[in-house]
Amino acid sequence: MKSKKIWIALVILIMMLLVPLGKVSASNDGYLQKVKDKGTLVVGTSADYPPYEFTVKQSGKTSYVGLDIEIAKKFAKDLGVKLEIKNMNFDSLLVALETHKVDAVISGMNPTPERQKSVDFSNVYYRGQQYMLINKKDAALYKNIHSFKNKTIGAQTGSLQYDLVKKQMKNNQVKGLAKLNDLVIALESGKVNAVAMEEATAKAFAQNNSSLKVINPEFNVNSSQTGSAMAFPKGATSLVKAADKTIAEIQKKNLINKQYIPLAGKYMTNNSKKNSMWNYWTYFAKGIEYTLIITVVSVFFGFILGVILALLRLSKNKLGKAVAVAYIEFVRGTPLMVQVMFVYFGVGAVIQSLPALLAGIIAVSLNSAAYVAEVIRSGIESIPTGQTEAARSLGLSQSLTYRYVVIPQALKNIWPALGNEFITLIKESSIVSIIGVGDLMYQMQLVQSATYKGVIPIFITMVIYFVMTFGLSKVLGYFEGRMKHA
Amino acid sequence: MPNMIEIKNLEKSFGDNQVLKNITEVVKKGQVICVIGPSGSGKSTFLRCLNVLEQPSAGQIIFEGQDLTNISEIELNKLRERMGMVFQSFNLFPNMNVIDNVKLAPLKVKKTMEKEAIQKAGQLLEQVGLADKAEQFPLSLSGGQQQRVAIARALAMNPEVMLFDEPTSALDPEMVGEVLKVMQDLAESGMTMIVVTHEMGFAKKVADQIWFMDEGYIQEKGTPSEFFANPKTSRAKEFLSKIL
Ligand SMILES: Nc1ncnc2c1ncn2[C@@H]1O[C@H](COP(=O)(O)OP(=O)(O)OP(=O)(O)O)[C@@H](O)[C@H]1O
Ligand SMILES: [Mg+2]
Repeated sequence: MKSKKIWIALVILIMMLLVPLGKVSASNDGYLQKVKDKGTLVVGTSADYPPYEFTVKQSGKTSYVGLDIEIAKKFAKDLGVKLEIKNMNFDSLLVALETHKVDAVISGMNPTPERQKSVDFSNVYYRGQQYMLINKKDAALYKNIHSFKNKTIGAQTGSLQYDLVKKQMKNNQVKGLAKLNDLVIALESGKVNAVAMEEATAKAFAQNNSSLKVINPEFNVNSSQTGSAMAFPKGATSLVKAADKTIAEIQKKNLINKQYIPLAGKYMTNNSKKNSMWNYWTYFAKGIEYTLIITVVSVFFGFILGVILALLRLSKNKLGKAVAVAYIEFVRGTPLMVQVMFVYFGVGAVIQSLPALLAGIIAVSLNSAAYVAEVIRSGIESIPTGQTEAARSLGLSQSLTYRYVVIPQALKNIWPALGNEFITLIKESSIVSIIGVGDLMYQMQLVQSATYKGVIPIFITMVIYFVMTFGLSKVLGYFEGRMKHA
Repeated sequence: MPNMIEIKNLEKSFGDNQVLKNITEVVKKGQVICVIGPSGSGKSTFLRCLNVLEQPSAGQIIFEGQDLTNISEIELNKLRERMGMVFQSFNLFPNMNVIDNVKLAPLKVKKTMEKEAIQKAGQLLEQVGLADKAEQFPLSLSGGQQQRVAIARALAMNPEVMLFDEPTSALDPEMVGEVLKVMQDLAESGMTMIVVTHEMGFAKKVADQIWFMDEGYIQEKGTPSEFFANPKTSRAKEFLSKIL
């Protein structure tokens, strides 16, 4: 009986969440006009792919640079609008396009037939070859794709290289990671034997890291699969046409080879000259700030919503109870990472202007509420019924009883568990980095790509997380001690 | 004397277990009634039905003309203000000090002014002999002191009737006297009281009527002198022979 109600409530809940998504795909071409009306072109990219796109620190601020960024700038200028860059995982780019988080994607992306099914591409603006990065000490072993047997080859998940390795190097394993930096760390530490990547990028890595070397492994590449193009939502013909016009001009003037790549190269050498961690403390500071903002705001709203859910769950109202139980079970039964992506891409498809930071905070708050609700419920249930009966016998209503008798005592009991939830959130909130929120984890990745150093930023980040959680647990411990004496 | 509480055909079951079986009695204003009987006979359940902490399964509880079994939650809260209750395990609020325990209900339910509530609470603590403990927290007091605070707390709402459920059963023997003394004073001041107790000395001295309860019925009732000297039912005889 009871479990049937829970199921019904669960299904209703899911349907409520899914129904609005149906509206998304209604797209008739007003794309160009829309961009002009907004006055900004929002371009998605995965900025860990030098020389195409990467980050540099200019007078204390992070900015996105690279040949793709130059093209995007020119495109925006030709349209007469401002340019806004959104940095996210390569995997998420097409989803961001389909859900209209961005107007265009430029990220060294190959216009493969698979991708063409879901988005429209401009003409190819640059065609590089498919290379491999290996450790210099292995240079004698690996010459081309046939020198590898039972080896592990790294490639960016969802990339053309990943497919090539999978299809043309069948007696090897493919290791897919989202970030090129992580792949290069894997290469340096021997987790993978080579990393397949695009020519210019591979050369950039080798140029900045003397233990690495590039080879041309001679993949059998169909020319329609190579080359980079800009991606647009399916049916955005007006934008595609405008992009092709910009690209034609760029090619006529040979801007990519004459201006954009040399500029990117300059940024890269600058980056590698000052890749001491000290130069990047502002990144970490910014990351700490975001992580704390996300955590504190989420703790606050998670707590309020958690109290409401706990009271609903304990209430006599059967529907309210079923909804609360369904919510709590559902949230606790799905990973936070999926919830974050769902809020950003799913809910964000309906409310298009939903910023990543807000989406992250919403997802983390909603998640935390479920856990807090259970903590509060157990706290409330731990208060002896005699307390409630004494209050009710004095004429206190149910709500006065909760407010003055039950909740204050429950809070005192659950304070340590709530503190734990706070500490957990500092750590768990790192997941919002996947949608491009600038928290500590995300900044770490920026520092990695800017410095070409893999492990040191991870170590520093780890220490910072520890200092934050340890410090907080000391502070909470102090207040816990004081509450005991009260 | 006018009727204060009329109990009509009261029944209470927990699942298949019928604990109270058709009880019809009257409590008059100013009466002190001691309810005695073996463990598990339904005394606590009976008392808790009177202020509807337990919802009766059948029958009526008519308090000053109003049927408590058939009114809204809000009206019920109002009527509970007029019936004080004291529990075996005190049930003081451990998160508040003594005086806050006493003035909570007047402040939040009756919306009494703070100053007036403090004054009244102080008076009541004086009455139960604990004026010097006002700022202490309940858990730092002895059982006897806690129970006297609980009585003061119930009295703070100016109730017309006081319900006591074995108020001295959880106390060490040397503390029983101080609580019974407070209750006796209260009875002498004219308070209507219904007291579930195993303290036969108190019952003999203070009660106007003894109700003997067994197996969900009030088997026998009478004045203390009648009942204790000359119980009529064999169950009452058996019960008395065990405890005296
Ligand atoms: N909330 C409840 N749920 C189920 N059964 C209950 C509940 N409260 C009381 N009972 C049952 O009702 C019966 C009478 O209990 P009650 O507490 O009224 O007895 P009592 O006369 O007060 O006993 P004692 O002298 O031990 O306090 C017992 O069998 C008890 O198990
Ligand atoms: Mg009892």
